[in-house]
Amino acid sequence: MRAADARPTARRAGVLAALAATATLAWVSVVESAPITSNTAITLAPGEFVLREQFVLDESGDDPSGADRDREVKGVISVLGYAVDRDLMLFGVLPYLEKRLELTEDGERRARSARGVADLRLFARYTVFRRNWLGGLFRISPFAGVETPTGEDDKSDAFGRLPADIQLGSGSWDPFAGLVATYQTLEFEIDGQIAYQANTRANGFAFGDVARADASIQYRLWPRELGSGVPAFVYGVLEANLIHKGKNRSGGVTDRNSGGTTLFLVPGLQYASKRWVFEAAVQLPAVQDLNGTALEKDYIVRGGFRANF
Amino acid sequence: MKAITIALLLLGVLAAPAWAGQGSKVYELGVDGLGCPFCAYGIEKTLGKVDGVDRVDVDMKRGVVVVTIAAGADFDRDTARQAVEDAGFDLRSFAPAAEE
Repeated sequence: MRAADARPTARRAGVLAALAATATLAWVSVVESAPITSNTAITLAPGEFVLREQFVLDESGDDPSGADRDREVKGVISVLGYAVDRDLMLFGVLPYLEKRLELTEDGERRARSARGVADLRLFARYTVFRRNWLGGLFRISPFAGVETPTGEDDKSDAFGRLPADIQLGSGSWDPFAGLVATYQTLEFEIDGQIAYQANTRANGFAFGDVARADASIQYRLWPRELGSGVPAFVYGVLEANLIHKGKNRSGGVTDRNSGGTTLFLVPGLQYASKRWVFEAAVQLPAVQDLNGTALEKDYIVRGGFRANF
Repeated sequence: MKAITIALLLLGVLAAPAWAGQGSKVYELGVDGLGCPFCAYGIEKTLGKVDGVDRVDVDMKRGVVVVTIAAGADFDRDTARQAVEDAGFDLRSFAPAAEE
């Protein structure tokens, strides 16, 4: 492939990588309780808040386009949740990110980056089914919200306007909805979620819609035998994220080098006490069926804490 | 004289907790749905807001919440049920545990 052909291809593939990163980061941050990379159906007691801070390092590479692209997204995602009553919870999710894309263009190595507040997500979750028993529970909760265009979407550098994948925000209002179910016992917890986000157009560009299915199991490793009171738990965590992204559209034209399906497997560890949760996990791409010259994901590392107050 | 004063002070310090708890009532609530430490905090906080509640102790393994009520305060099954359900759980049983 000639260099002149590779450049736009590389840019389009970069857009896909950014979409993958942004969507994955944002969805992860909707969590309130047990899973690390997806949601839970468990609510807090009325009037309680949960604050979550999650630090993220997201690396992509293995560029098939010839531009030798390397992409890194790192930052912190802040989540504040509030329990209105025993069924309704409201959430705000605000990422602060640094995005950096290195690639070879016109025979030279270039780096393009942006840092700042990204798009704020607001959503509500409502429990429609609950069942409690001694030492366990089952919940089903639909949720819905919108990703608001709070992140800058017109940043520029010495090479001109940054491509959409490096912009901090999409510039668009993007609604999303889903359903999450949680089965919890004193020994383990299982969470399952399906969700869909419709990405709308801004600046003549629209990311492809995102559909995903997530599963999480947390198994109590310690203490092996429960004593009296409320001991802290250490959970071993295994999660899976199946994420499908539609193709992007720019100026009414579909980008064939965007979209695709990725399956992440996510081992992790979690320490949970009455008021604090500390956790870490790594998302490893087990399957990547991407369109065209999309940039493959290497891994995503997550670590952070939650506080209940 | 000094020894007697010290002895009286010591007796007062040791007896103070007993006097403070005199007349308080303790109830044992069976609660369904307590599956993790994070959940336990919710019910502690909700029950702790009920008038007259002095102390809340959760035993997750037994699914039991022990509530200590201040002397002279009222606490009944309906009050307990309301607080437990507000927190998202179910009241399985309600019984006076002891009277101090």
